[in-house]
Amino acid sequence: MTTFLPQYPFPPNPVLLFGLLLLAGVVGGELVKRALNLPRIVGYVLIGLLLGASGSNLLDAGLVGESWIFVEIALGLVLFELGRRLHFKWLRNDPWLLATGLLESTLAFGFLYVTLTYFGVQPIYAAVAAAIGVSTSPAVVLLVAQELKAEGQVTERALNLTALNSVVAFVLTTMLVSWIHHEYQAGWATVALHPLYLLGGSLVLGFAASVVAIVLSRWLGQRAERQFALLLALIVLTIGAARMLELSVLLALLALGVFSRNLDTRHDVMTVDLSGIGQIFYVVLFVVSGAKLHVVELMMGGGLALAYVAARLAGKLIGVMSLSHLSGVRPGTALMLGVALTPMSGLALAMVHGTADLYPEFGARLSAIVLSAVLILELIGPVAVQFALKRAGEARDAA
Amino acid sequence: MSNMSAMSVDELAFTPSKGLTVGVEIELQILNSRDYDLARDAADLIGLIEKAPHPGAVKPEITESMVELNSSIQPGHDPLLTELRAIRDVVVQAASRLNVRIAGGGSHPFHTWADRRIYPTERFQHLLSLYGYLAKQFTIFGQHVHVGCPDGDVAIYLAHILSRYVPHFIALSASSPYQQGEDTSYASSRLNTVSAFPLSGQIPFVHSWKEFLDYFLKMRGYGIVESMKDFYWDIRPKPEYGTVEIRVFDTPLTVEHSAALAAYTQSLARYILTDRPFAPLRDVYTLYNYNRFQACRYGLDGRIVDAYTQRHVTLKEDILETLAVITPHAAALGNGLALAKLAADVEAGRSGANQLREIFRERKSLNDIARVQSDLWMGAGKPANAKEAPKT
Repeated sequence: MTTFLPQYPFPPNPVLLFGLLLLAGVVGGELVKRALNLPRIVGYVLIGLLLGASGSNLLDAGLVGESWIFVEIALGLVLFELGRRLHFKWLRNDPWLLATGLLESTLAFGFLYVTLTYFGVQPIYAAVAAAIGVSTSPAVVLLVAQELKAEGQVTERALNLTALNSVVAFVLTTMLVSWIHHEYQAGWATVALHPLYLLGGSLVLGFAASVVAIVLSRWLGQRAERQFALLLALIVLTIGAARMLELSVLLALLALGVFSRNLDTRHDVMTVDLSGIGQIFYVVLFVVSGAKLHVVELMMGGGLALAYVAARLAGKLIGVMSLSHLSGVRPGTALMLGVALTPMSGLALAMVHGTADLYPEFGARLSAIVLSAVLILELIGPVAVQFALKRAGEARDAA
Repeated sequence: MSNMSAMSVDELAFTPSKGLTVGVEIELQILNSRDYDLARDAADLIGLIEKAPHPGAVKPEITESMVELNSSIQPGHDPLLTELRAIRDVVVQAASRLNVRIAGGGSHPFHTWADRRIYPTERFQHLLSLYGYLAKQFTIFGQHVHVGCPDGDVAIYLAHILSRYVPHFIALSASSPYQQGEDTSYASSRLNTVSAFPLSGQIPFVHSWKEFLDYFLKMRGYGIVESMKDFYWDIRPKPEYGTVEIRVFDTPLTVEHSAALAAYTQSLARYILTDRPFAPLRDVYTLYNYNRFQACRYGLDGRIVDAYTQRHVTLKEDILETLAVITPHAAALGNGLALAKLAADVEAGRSGANQLREIFRERKSLNDIARVQSDLWMGAGKPANAKEAPKT
């Protein structure tokens, strides 16, 4: 036998994996777009389902685990972009927008918690599942908006509300972590300090990175190509640092985005267009999130998932519609704004993933509740956002 | 839109207005507050402004990235400025609730015309189907100054004499040096966009309102125009308002400068109609395009040929001389201080175009130019401070 030839089975490597995921996503997205005129995201997820645990199992749990780093980079990019859209000045000038965000988050949490406990879910699982349900998928809203080249009040407000409810969801789940610790009889120091470390540490990391971003941007000057490389470097660096320090990648990146926008009083950091590079990672993100879902298992929790989706939607719609007429939105678009907050996706997966890392048993039972809802919303969500933005008249004519 | 073809000659009669009153229309840019590209929130902005009582009027323009402010009819500079500031404050407050920025300046420095969307009204859709891409390229921002005239014959005379001063208006307002991401090398690049329209140009060399009406009816008979609105002339009579409308101004960077330009125009009109210094001269139109080009290209440094004296003179000199001549008229209208300040700016060579180029030299970023344009117009970037809860 020759020894220079590779041995079967061929050992996969991350680069190969990345390329395959991307290729699969591009083909799946285009097929869905052409055949059904649905957002490409739906195609990414469907191809993920076909390749993953529910389909051919080509992407088994091991490979999904290996590709998790791409998911974190993708979510990091999304949350950074989202953070840069969260404009404190806007929240000051239009306090009703902030109020809308808080109300829809509170109602979604409350409705979800009540519904889940009504169906006999233990309070602690219900609370964490409800907290995760507060968040709208930033990746879906951002990606559909980009795909439609949508702009206008519904688009901007949907993104800002998504940023707000993501923050609320982070804070809630992180605080609930101490309850989980308590349930699992961790020491009092862990119970008290771990959430503090997660929240505080992630914020400090994001803050530090944003200071570097601002200082170096000033030094580099207003050159898009240089600042692009700088920001990408800081985003990847922050993701890596958060993993190394066992902080929340999501919160750190959101903080980086928010602070680099809102602390930059001299306007040194340019708004560079990350959508090109982001697009590549988003495709992978959605393929992997599809692959991670076990359709058959999730069907078993079908009834509860439907109740979860309905309670969440009710909370968000009532929250948005009861306040947004106070904040200068055209009549008729409040409903669209509420509908645009429907998606749940990778961010929810990541939050489940985060709690599962702590106590696998807890994670498994939580997944059963949340992931079946994610499965539904992963497919409906992009369609809902597309419908809302088109209906609000904010999509570009030929999308 | 009314049914123009059913319009009778009576409806084209010149509504007399109180002589020498002044009013302005200002087209403004709506920017997003992320990268300061043009946004498309005109409908939301206008909807929000309509909820609050405010002086003047705020209207849509051809693309969704534009909005137009109209002042009322005013006797002079100070009340006009007071009104413009009040409208501005209302617009700024509405804009800050929508997180959009409002900017002056004749052009947006880097927007891509193909991204623009036409405001959904019948007239604007018609303009898009007629003019094609020119309609989207028409996302440029001008100020129109109306001067009240007692009758149509006076309006025709005033239009012909003001034509001699068109380069002044261009140089004094020039603030569109950047377009589509490039320095155009012009002080006002905006007017080059206007020139592409087939009905742009100047009023025909007629001598009375009756002759003018004959011309208009002939053009309408050919089916070329339906209403006066279809003429994109630099100066045109506006019979329903009883005014002469000067349309060559770039939108200035501040409402203060808007009012100063109106004061200059009004004072000049008073001089022309009181002293009747010249008779209309065909040569003004012979030299017109050359002089206009000089003003667009070089601003205050442009060199024009005076049709009345055949003298070559820089616009800066010609404007300063004119300012000296019209001083008593400015004083009579209460515009004296405003014109003294304008004279100081001209003397020092200050202009909107120079100011924007200065910002670029400092910041090297077109986004920053757009941002500063909005800071200046909104009042040095100060956010609206009135923030009481809206009434429901």
